[in-house]
Amino acid sequence: MTLLELINFYLIPGVVLGSIYALGAVGITLVFGILRFAHLAHGDLATFGAFAALALVAVGGVNVWVALPLAMAICGAAAIGIDKYFYDYLKERPKILTVMASLGIALMLRAIVQVVWGVDTETYTRGIVRPETYWGIRIRDRELYTVIAMLGIVAVLWFFLKNTKWGKAMRAMSDNPDLALLSGVDNRKVTMLTWMIVGMLCAAAGFFLGLNTELKALMGWTMLLPMFAAAILGGVGRVEGAVIGGLIIGIVEEMSVLFIPTEYKAALAFAILLIILLVRPTGLLKGKVL
Amino acid sequence: MELIGLANYAVYMAIFIGIYAILALGLNIQWGFTGLFNAGIAGFFAVGAYVSAILTSADVANRIGGFDLPIVVGWIGAMVAAGLIAWPIGKICLRFRSDYLAIATIGIAEIIRLVVKSEGWMTGGARGVNNVPRPFGDLEYFQSQLAYMLMVFLILGIVYFLVERQIHAPWGRMMRAIRDNEAAAAAMGKNIERRRLEAFIFGAAIMGLGGALFAHFNRSITPEAVDPMVATFLIWIMLILGGSGNNRGAILGVAVVWIIWSMSEMITDQLPQEYAIKAKYMRVFIIGLMLQLVLRFRPEGILPEPQYTDETNKEKVQRGSPASDAPTT
Amino acid sequence: MKLTSLAFTAALAGATALTSHTALADVKVGLLGGVSGPIAAMAPPMLDAAQLAFQQVNEQGGVAGGQMIEAVVGDSGCNPQNGVDSATKLVNVEQVVGLVGPQCSGAVIAVANSVSVPAGIALLTPSGTSPEITSIEDKDTVMRTVPSDDYQGRALARALLERGTKKVAVAYLNNDYGTGLAESFKAEFEANGGELAGYAAHEEGKASYRSNLAALTRDGADTLVIFDYGDGTGLTILRQALENGFFENFVGGDGMKSEAIINELGAENLTTFVASSPVGTASSSLDLFNDAFAGIGGDPNAIFVTTSYDAAFLMALAIEKAGGDKAAVAAALREVSNGEGEPILPGEWKKATGLIAEGKAIDYKGASGDLDFDENGDVPGAYAMFKVSNDTFESIGEMK
Repeated sequence: MTLLELINFYLIPGVVLGSIYALGAVGITLVFGILRFAHLAHGDLATFGAFAALALVAVGGVNVWVALPLAMAICGAAAIGIDKYFYDYLKERPKILTVMASLGIALMLRAIVQVVWGVDTETYTRGIVRPETYWGIRIRDRELYTVIAMLGIVAVLWFFLKNTKWGKAMRAMSDNPDLALLSGVDNRKVTMLTWMIVGMLCAAAGFFLGLNTELKALMGWTMLLPMFAAAILGGVGRVEGAVIGGLIIGIVEEMSVLFIPTEYKAALAFAILLIILLVRPTGLLKGKVL
Repeated sequence: MELIGLANYAVYMAIFIGIYAILALGLNIQWGFTGLFNAGIAGFFAVGAYVSAILTSADVANRIGGFDLPIVVGWIGAMVAAGLIAWPIGKICLRFRSDYLAIATIGIAEIIRLVVKSEGWMTGGARGVNNVPRPFGDLEYFQSQLAYMLMVFLILGIVYFLVERQIHAPWGRMMRAIRDNEAAAAAMGKNIERRRLEAFIFGAAIMGLGGALFAHFNRSITPEAVDPMVATFLIWIMLILGGSGNNRGAILGVAVVWIIWSMSEMITDQLPQEYAIKAKYMRVFIIGLMLQLVLRFRPEGILPEPQYTDETNKEKVQRGSPASDAPTT
Repeated sequence: MKLTSLAFTAALAGATALTSHTALADVKVGLLGGVSGPIAAMAPPMLDAAQLAFQQVNEQGGVAGGQMIEAVVGDSGCNPQNGVDSATKLVNVEQVVGLVGPQCSGAVIAVANSVSVPAGIALLTPSGTSPEITSIEDKDTVMRTVPSDDYQGRALARALLERGTKKVAVAYLNNDYGTGLAESFKAEFEANGGELAGYAAHEEGKASYRSNLAALTRDGADTLVIFDYGDGTGLTILRQALENGFFENFVGGDGMKSEAIINELGAENLTTFVASSPVGTASSSLDLFNDAFAGIGGDPNAIFVTTSYDAAFLMALAIEKAGGDKAAVAAALREVSNGEGEPILPGEWKKATGLIAEGKAIDYKGASGDLDFDENGDVPGAYAMFKVSNDTFESIGEMK
């Protein structure tokens, strides 16, 4: 096997897959860090976002790249609504209850997707797209866009968290909620903002998953566990950690085919996670312990 | 609708609730009393189910087996195997706290699921293990179900008794002390890691027994039964809604959730025929919604954790934090 | 005024009497499908096909003395827990006389063992392909209209060798369907001098299979055999193989003969794709079904719709033969399709009831094959190879 083959068939697919994982993992890690619970509806919210984009493309007739921001907005609003009606009143309770509530939301979202859009496998565009070759490296344009978009979205988020008032408030909530509340951070607004961002990230993750493969009603649910693994791997509450975690898991999953039987590919995310946690119990970048 | 039919349905529900109640009691030891976030119930369920099935079934080509052991031996084997698997997992993972432990156990359960699905020489692979003997399986339908129900109830009773006894013993007090204030318990010289490991193994063994009862009930175990939704998350919902830290609550939670889960199909079947398929999706929605409603109106669980009292001097022990405020997510 | 109100009341009373009459006389059949869960995309067309059979029966006079068949749909969720739960409700609460389904093997085995066999209800699965179903101790009440994977895998292996394809790579879904096909294909292909240059299972629901495909190409095969579902992971694999130019020729099992593949990938990209699928020996059977199913807006190429239709129609025939007696349905299933008697084609319900009333033997020739049950309740399969042509699948010859 040549180096080019390794890059073309193992590394690039791994990076693309990792980018999708990363988009999901960043959202999970934000919920973990700021709201302090495991959001099990994350995958199904991503499915919802992907199908919202499909509706815009198929019914609204808009371009897929216009559909993406619109779907992100829809999904962000949906996330705020879900929080308002189903999570918010549990916030003084033990967090396990919110985890259970999110499981219920996952079921409800899945049912909505199945009732509204049916259960057939769908795609944004019919037909296939063959990869372009750049200096021997084969990559499809949509794969390129996936990676670029992931980096762009994370960069914007990073900038927002670092440099704006509300971003700082979110980080403060993540670091020390009591102190943040004492220093006058509006808990309610930060929560809303977090959900909006998380919803948008969900839609992006679902959209790119759908763009690179197909849309199915269960697509988000099956991606949930690797996304969680990526978030924990990077360190809970660390955005950049989630990106690194997502990329590592994506790349290792694709590379794993060279070393282990393919039926165990899905187990790889967890095997890496366990090994990393043994060495660094708080994840690659030092995450928080809740 | 015939009466015997309804009775059959009720008996079936009782069997199912009994089996899942055993799983929920196992989880209650780990989470409710010890605060261990085990999200890998499916793994221990699978180990118990497969071990018991393989030990008690007849020989089949291309797979280990043919031990044809008595069913009771299978159950003991299931508990021992689940406990043995739990031991290294606990050794490695219990040092992780809450969410890290949760994701680690989910991961291990997924790995176990892939192993039983792929290692045909051991588990029959995608085909699973079949023709597992069923106690009282030769009786007529209703009698057989009734006998199995009584047997499951008897076992559930024994498990309940054992768990209750442990919880009220000094061991149980120590567990709650560790859960509620680890630092104080450590300061008092308790070997926290060891106690946690004990609870983890004890709970896992009970889950293994639940898995075994499930396999014998269906005379088969296939990888589809080890799905995280029906074998892990469903039990979590049951325990949390029932009231973690309360064994009776756990059993009641199983009954309530399974009745919602099962009866919701009858509600959505009232829709006209042309919506017959959509009705099934609506059912999933209703299940999710009912879950939200229970959470809204009984967030502390149907039966909250009782205030345990120190029985020697009858002095009320003021507990710093309520039941499920243990290291949570 | 009085007269009209009187007439109105009379009409109302008449209508009430009429509806209550038909309501009393319904015969219920359980349709158990994996509506939610991993095969959610495949279940609805299968259920529609079964409903089509019952609709034809009801339009042509109903069953067992003019009673209407009412299909009660249950959701097996494709797992034993929900399958047994749903089957228990169907058998005990709804009092169905027979079960068509479940669709997933794991649910079939569990439902047979803990509900249908003890209750003495006939179970006819249209898609449970696991070889384990053969060996259930079923008192002859568990049967299937889908051949065990064994037949198809072997037939496909022989057909490929006949076409001169000596070296292939196999990618199969790691479940009972994929494994069963792959194992029998491998045994037959290698025994007859073929070479497997790659043989690997995959999990469903992953976003990328390119590394799997790349690993499969390494030993130089130019033909990829996919045992998977065309509206699930199989589509993803085929897409990624085509896009990246991993193989030149593609062969699928019946699961891959799905309209979804043409719709999503485009017929122009599928010129080198062939798939095997069960067919009836009386080819008019399949045509009859295809026309009827297309007539209600169904996709005749969707996976397992022919076997689902046949299972439902056979169940209706057996109920008619048994006179509505649920204990006799299982035995009657054999009698209506044992290769002896007047042939009955899909939709020929009137003809069948007439013959049964005269006491003559009938033999159902289904859309998916002749369906002559052997002693285990299995059916042998007859297969043909299909290629993509004009946005649909076209037969290019039988496989032996």
